[in-house]
Amino acid sequence: MATLEELQARIQRLDDIKQIEQLQKIYGYYMDYAEWQKVVDLFSDKDPSVEEADRGVYKGKERIKKYFIDLLGGGPGKTPRPGWLSIMFQLQGVVTCDISATTAKARWYGMGMEAKPTTSLHEGELRQTWISGVYENEYVKEDGKWKIKKLHFNLTFRTPYEDGWLKVPVVGQTGPDSKILPDEPPTAYFPYPSGFHLPVSFKHPITGK
Amino acid sequence: MTLDEMEKEVVRLEDIQEIEDLERKYGYYFDTRRVRDVLDLFSEHTTSVEIESHGQYFGKDGVRRMYAVGVGGEAETALKDVVARRDKSSGAGFNIITQLQGVVTLGATGETAKGRWQVWLAESFPFAGRFGQYWLHGYYENEFAKDDGKWMFTKLFWNTTFFTRYETGWIVQPIVGFLPMPNPDTPPTAFHPYPSGYHFPYSFRHPVTGEEDAAVFRYRHPMAT
Repeated sequence: MATLEELQARIQRLDDIKQIEQLQKIYGYYMDYAEWQKVVDLFSDKDPSVEEADRGVYKGKERIKKYFIDLLGGGPGKTPRPGWLSIMFQLQGVVTCDISATTAKARWYGMGMEAKPTTSLHEGELRQTWISGVYENEYVKEDGKWKIKKLHFNLTFRTPYEDGWLKVPVVGQTGPDSKILPDEPPTAYFPYPSGFHLPVSFKHPITGK
Repeated sequence: MTLDEMEKEVVRLEDIQEIEDLERKYGYYFDTRRVRDVLDLFSEHTTSVEIESHGQYFGKDGVRRMYAVGVGGEAETALKDVVARRDKSSGAGFNIITQLQGVVTLGATGETAKGRWQVWLAESFPFAGRFGQYWLHGYYENEFAKDDGKWMFTKLFWNTTFFTRYETGWIVQPIVGFLPMPNPDTPPTAFHPYPSGYHFPYSFRHPVTGEEDAAVFRYRHPMAT
């Protein structure tokens, strides 16, 4: 028979997992609507980082703000151009809470449909694309609230709707931005067909490896 | 934490899980045209149901009219009869209505809840004179209540992003056409598909700042500069 304390810790763990799942899903909804400030507010103030595809790593809250608001958003108060579309499903989350219950990691699939200006033969034209990749993220509990500590979206493909991933694995975005430079180069940018496996944050549920 | 407080926490976590499951089961029933089962997921106190461009239906009676007459044929038709009839008619008409990314927010009393989902479909059915294959996307904002200890829908609202042909995609043809239903109580209430930029309000608060959704509709006419 478990003690009250033990039961409370187990309930807390279930609640933590649910809160982290909701945090990540809400992150997805804000990204869909280009709500950059709200996205920034989901990150911890203490040494957070973000890395998506081949854009490189942005470290610290100020740089994260720069990344979302200036780089992705085009500057404060800017709204996306007409026809901009970003839908990224946050799928299949596996959350692993640390024993201290103040940090956690999670793996997610990001799968989506977009219409964005792409670097291509016709600079800046809106193209419809399928996008897919894997997140390995880290979270931290501060003042009773879970926040994103590290967000890493590892791109598998971003293909023109008309072509598909076999013909054109990646279209658009060719390396880190030249004006708003990242703090570090991309750490693991190996899209299809590299065969790269982004390491998993969870242990094998049966063997524990 | 006292035993009472712990029980409340367990109930809260169970409630969220049950609502997430309810929404998923709705999707599975809908996919296989189990109309009777879909109807039984809705409370007698249902306020409204609205899907795609079908229009808005009020009350549990509206739910029956919407799903039974509009979507699935007669409400009482057994699944095997529906399947048999469809086999005879169109053959390959089908839909996969995935219910994704649920975020459930319980009300203060724990007796009501709201939730947001992404809805993503692969479908094939006859439309505009030919059999076609389609992608559809939208967001749900749904409402629930606990009736006799069981969670049920009290409102279902699917806000459309696009309904496009497999062959063209959302940028070329965001909406293939309208899908009106017979006798809705009102026309669609917020049918602003891509590329309007419509912001379908979130039911959840910001998890860190606690801020409520201001729901700014950033519509920009495609010819705006």
